[in-house]
Amino acid sequence: MAAEEPVTFTVGLTNEVDSFNPFNGIEASSFEMWALTYDYLISYSMEDMSPEAGLATEWDTSEDGLTWTFTLTDEAVWSDGEPLTAADVAYTYNRIIDGGPEAATWGSYLTSVESAEAPDDTTLVLNLEKPNAVLPLLPIPIVPEHVWSGVSEDEVKSYAAEPEGGEPVVGSGPFRLVEGTAGGDTYRFEANPEYWKGAPHVDEVVFRVFKSEDPAVQALIKGEIDFVEGINALQVESLQGQDGITAINGDSPSFDEIAFNTGARDPKTEEPIGDGNPALEDPAFRHALGYAVDNELLIERAYQGAGRPADVLIPPAYGGWRWEPPEEDAFTFDLEKAGQLLDEAGYTMGDDGLRTMPDGSPIGTLRLYARSESKTSINVLNFFQEWLAEIGIESEVTAYESNKLTNIILDGEFDVFEWGWYVEPDPDSILSYMTCGQRGSWSDSWYCNEEYDELYAAQNAEVDHDARVEMVHRMQEILFYDSPYLLTAYSAIGEAARTDRFACFQPQPDPGGVWLMQYGAHNYLEVRPAEEAGDCDGVETAVGASGDVGAPDEGVGTGAVVGIAVAAGLVLLGVGVWAVRRRSTAGERE
Amino acid sequence: MSGLVSADLAAHSGGGEVSARRPGYARFVLGRLLGAAGSLFFVLVVNFFLFRVLPGDPARTLGRGRFRTEEQLEAFRETYGLDQPLPQQFLTFLQNTFTGELGVSLRYRVPVSDLIVDRLWPTLLLVGSSVVLAGLIGIYLGMVSAWRRGERFDKISTGVTLTLYSMPEWWLGLLLIATFAVGAGPLPGLFPTGGLESVNPPDGFVAQGLDVAWHLTLPVITLTLVYLADYALIMRSSLLDELGEDYLVTARAKGLRDVVVRRRHAARNALLPTTTVVALNIGFVVSGAITIETIFSIPGLGLLSSEALTIPDYWVLQGTFLIASAAVIAANLVANLVYGLLDPRVRT
Repeated sequence: MAAEEPVTFTVGLTNEVDSFNPFNGIEASSFEMWALTYDYLISYSMEDMSPEAGLATEWDTSEDGLTWTFTLTDEAVWSDGEPLTAADVAYTYNRIIDGGPEAATWGSYLTSVESAEAPDDTTLVLNLEKPNAVLPLLPIPIVPEHVWSGVSEDEVKSYAAEPEGGEPVVGSGPFRLVEGTAGGDTYRFEANPEYWKGAPHVDEVVFRVFKSEDPAVQALIKGEIDFVEGINALQVESLQGQDGITAINGDSPSFDEIAFNTGARDPKTEEPIGDGNPALEDPAFRHALGYAVDNELLIERAYQGAGRPADVLIPPAYGGWRWEPPEEDAFTFDLEKAGQLLDEAGYTMGDDGLRTMPDGSPIGTLRLYARSESKTSINVLNFFQEWLAEIGIESEVTAYESNKLTNIILDGEFDVFEWGWYVEPDPDSILSYMTCGQRGSWSDSWYCNEEYDELYAAQNAEVDHDARVEMVHRMQEILFYDSPYLLTAYSAIGEAARTDRFACFQPQPDPGGVWLMQYGAHNYLEVRPAEEAGDCDGVETAVGASGDVGAPDEGVGTGAVVGIAVAAGLVLLGVGVWAVRRRSTAGERE
Repeated sequence: MSGLVSADLAAHSGGGEVSARRPGYARFVLGRLLGAAGSLFFVLVVNFFLFRVLPGDPARTLGRGRFRTEEQLEAFRETYGLDQPLPQQFLTFLQNTFTGELGVSLRYRVPVSDLIVDRLWPTLLLVGSSVVLAGLIGIYLGMVSAWRRGERFDKISTGVTLTLYSMPEWWLGLLLIATFAVGAGPLPGLFPTGGLESVNPPDGFVAQGLDVAWHLTLPVITLTLVYLADYALIMRSSLLDELGEDYLVTARAKGLRDVVVRRRHAARNALLPTTTVVALNIGFVVSGAITIETIFSIPGLGLLSSEALTIPDYWVLQGTFLIASAAVIAANLVANLVYGLLDPRVRT
């Protein structure tokens, strides 16, 4: 059914796109743009982001795990009419395997992949040096070879991949970018009615970038935009009462943690570096502090109620990978137990009411470093300082800008800091940050444990899913008891939609997750005007599935006219007043 | 405005001196030009090293959670020349700058010159029109306040401009958004909440111009209100200095109307310090207005450089600071040259 007016779904982004070039961009917003423009070999399920058919309908591994064979759909077509074949996929992957800026962005997903081949149009073969368990989850957008072969290795580092001379960007996805530039304030996408998985229900998707959240919230209330993402818990709360708006704190697969300097050492020489407090090198000391953190209270006070208490690296969204501490060992807020564990480990209370090292020397003051740009970070550590004081440990909170803090962490000159990580659907990346090899690089706790490292290498090459899950569980268990991190919260992202106008947003992970900024373009395909919602094709968790219809809003065009008229009127009035004043002054003085 | 002043002064100084002034003025101009070029070069050098001292490694700031392996970090550094030793980077930077290249942005991965061109006109429009508006209104308010010092107009004008001056820009901006963009009570939302133009701009040059003007109304009003006090207070105090002067008594004695005395005689002499402030502020226009650009989501130069600081995106910072310094130095130069014309005493 062709409507008279094109249906435009407008999204307010609070983070801008850094590059439309899939080999260069880094920001989450850029991923969203690629998801609209391109396809992926594998898709991510709505339930838990596990692999699902994308361009590839089937895939298989050889017995030794060294050859992966994918069977591709023959229906996908580039927006300029060329068919999308396995050769395009091989071309995209080989660009990354060959190094350069492409490898900087995507290299880790294709480690140990020696080459990608396309023996025919619908078959893709990946040849591996050694087995790689992270496959087939590859969040790499597939680009058209016939366009990108004109972009050399040297040019790609500053290639924008934006519309040129009125020509939209060539992609195979459900939408195509017709207008917009990275760093700009508006990106306009037009629906691809020929999309091989079926046409979207809206004609256009427009993104507007807001540099601060409050104006974005105001724009939603006013109806200038239909959706806003990346707002905070207080803003979500204020929107929940508004007519026609539905606001949520959607679970995001990421966590925040209180991290310790577990003993910084030069990774090459194993010589100690920095000046971390020796007490924190003891896993027993660190683990005991886990009972001195009240995550429930932190969520309520430092996170304004958005988020969930956290315990291990893998968030509940990835249920299959997650290990949960046995009930008798799970952290509870129990200062008495924390003190008791510290006593047992030899950190007994001295005469001055402060705990001492097992040899009787003072522990000293722990330096707690917060990120100055995050109020939450500062609040969390302020609470932690109070709790530490209650169990006889002195500490002080200092806030640093995160660039500065990064330097401090790399120099090992800290005791405790607060930060967080995003967790990808495959646990490999988050687990890798805790390996010995990442010290001096991404490891910020300087944690190093041989058993853990062996398990890491083994799980990375383990093609048997169940065997790998077991290793991943054991790794989380090790980290839980060694406690280089004390996890505080699994984060949430505030999102709000004009549900009086648009419906059928399905959360990812489902239930409890976010509506946009997901893995893949699912909801851009599903979103539709509220009056056409029906039962959202039977998706029960989708917002507006019942089909509650609101009144359509008036256009923006009239606003412009009124605005200009009022502005002109004000100017005229000003001129008039000035003229009158001037004459009267002249008159009375003459 | 300065043109008027100079013509006026030239007329006063008399024809006989004109020929004697020329050689001195040429030397004065040459000296100032060399001085300006020197300052610019100095700024270039300082900028390069200043930004390298900033804490942070762009590869790590940008690559957190993305460049997971050391190899990936290295590939990034190599691609964008961050692996070169510092002296080498400095030479490349000088070489590039003199050939008009500003490098590639680490965040946006496009040439910095493209970014600056994209961001320049929103900033020029926003800050430029605010400076001009604030200058005109401020000077008028200052003039009238001084003339009627102590009266109700003076009290209200000085009080209001000072209050606006001390208001945080973001707060004033948000207040205007909540009132005039979203609408309050019976007042409908008249203006957009942010951005520079409509998502689907109307056809036609005039219509598009109006669309941009509509979007810029609130940010320009905010910035103008904040800037007002600058001009009003300077104009007020320099006019107050003039009020006791003999020439004003003479002018009045000649029987001139009060408004003529004020406009033709007192205000012109009092304009000199204000001219300096206006000239300097015009120079600073290019550095943008970070807060207002943030609140109203206007993609300008101020926002570009403040965001580049968090990475730090060296080439963007060097580029924007170069442009901003060049503009301030140029405005200074112009002010100097005009002063040389206005007042021969400064030429030595």
